[in-house]
Amino acid sequence: MKRNTILALLGLFGLFAGTAHAALVWEKSEVELNPSLSDKTAVAHFKYKNTGEQPVKITSVHSSCGCTTAALAKDEVEPNESGEITATFNIGDRSGVQNKTITVMTDDQPAQAKVLRLKATIPQLITVAPIFVYWSEKDKLELKTITVDVGDFPVTKLTVTPTDKSIETEVKPGANKKQFLIVVRPTESGRPINASLKIEPDYPKDAPKLFYANVRVDSRATATPPPQ
Amino acid sequence: MRLSLVRQLLLLLGLAFLPAIGQAIYYRDAPSWQQRPGDSAPVTLAQAKAWGSAALWLDARSEEQFTRGHVPGAMLLNEDDWHSLLPPVLGAWSPERKLVVYCSRQTCDASHVVAERLRKEAGLPNVYVLEGGWEEWEAAAK
Amino acid sequence: MTSKQARFGGRFFVRLILAIAVGGVFLYAGALKVRDPLRFASDIDHYQMIPWTVAVRFAFYLPWLEILCGLSLVFQRLFAGAIVLAGGLMLVFLVATAWARLHGIDITCGCFGTASSNLSLTWHLVLDGGILAALLVLWLIREPMPAANPA
Repeated sequence: MKRNTILALLGLFGLFAGTAHAALVWEKSEVELNPSLSDKTAVAHFKYKNTGEQPVKITSVHSSCGCTTAALAKDEVEPNESGEITATFNIGDRSGVQNKTITVMTDDQPAQAKVLRLKATIPQLITVAPIFVYWSEKDKLELKTITVDVGDFPVTKLTVTPTDKSIETEVKPGANKKQFLIVVRPTESGRPINASLKIEPDYPKDAPKLFYANVRVDSRATATPPPQ
Repeated sequence: MRLSLVRQLLLLLGLAFLPAIGQAIYYRDAPSWQQRPGDSAPVTLAQAKAWGSAALWLDARSEEQFTRGHVPGAMLLNEDDWHSLLPPVLGAWSPERKLVVYCSRQTCDASHVVAERLRKEAGLPNVYVLEGGWEEWEAAAK
Repeated sequence: MTSKQARFGGRFFVRLILAIAVGGVFLYAGALKVRDPLRFASDIDHYQMIPWTVAVRFAFYLPWLEILCGLSLVFQRLFAGAIVLAGGLMLVFLVATAWARLHGIDITCGCFGTASSNLSLTWHLVLDGGILAALLVLWLIREPMPAANPA
């Protein structure tokens, strides 16, 4: 009785495993990309092959965000035919590790959604924190500091240009060689200020990148005299 | 002494609690006990509408989707053009306002990412993500 | 058959090998999850079977339970309890996997932490089924054989 039970259970699992086999096989379902600083897009290729005896139709390809477009050469995959889905990830103003997914639906049996994963590590030249400094009408116009941390790049200097002349800035060295401090001080009161600080590192020299911080001063804040 | 099966089970189940509690104490400051990590506070459409003019609506979708249709008065703010889209949003913001970020469908993560960048990078308080997204607004408008 | 042969016969070795194998799997699985309980909570959450607040608490408890089960199996202490508990855990994972497939949710299982993302769903189920079968066998042969020449 006990032996029969074991055999029956093993048989059941074998049966289950045997029926759950999909024809469309993917070479890789996760792709890691490492675009360079100057890249605007990152492209991943997801290859597949129809290992079954029936044609498989790819019914839909949908990405988790508008920033990743997935292109398909053709949607009907004949037996033994290979193909690929090209996923183009638009980097835009993104940074750090980006995880995006593309869901592929087919008429394959057993019907299932195949999730392809794209992991792009976008290099961060510098990190600006905070990117917004604000003085409300009740605040005194005292100094505020923005910290800039440099990634694994040889940045030695920052040039900061405010878009409003009433904002004064000064760049100072930070806690270590990979850090800068931007000291911000509004010099005028009486009018609201909504300005940006253009932050330009001295690397890469051939393709300079601009970063931004934002400054807002609501009117009627009292100015403090500049330090002696 | 051989314990009965039930006692063995209870002993195993009970003993596992000890290291688990220890580890939970180590992680006690993790903000994820109540909410998934990185989740901004969700807000329903009804709640957001009740805020009236105190709500600042932000569309985290693509410019193309925004042009096709958006919440009246919403501002576009996505990661494609974060640096140029952010300053006008900061100009429109004030400490009393509540930011409501939305994108397409619940599975889209753009609204969560934009909300998180507003909270962490810009340090803004009161940032919410609209439950149900743009589709929820469209359905209610019909 | 002498008493020694009775004690260290085939049944003993099958039990030893299976106990170490299955116990080892549980130790490995538990150790992988214990390193990052919040990531495991995220994996549980993907199944969308229980709310996040419950999932995160389970994520702290379950890996330690697996480790304890693994140790009990390997050292054959609290053996019967460990077999039943391990079997229960496997059934829960199998049911959760079936549930997720039924609801069209794609999951990387989370059973073996990030290691499992390279296994297809089918192979996961085959592996889980194999472990369950091994546990059943262990249950059936758990009692040491009685001495061939009782006093």
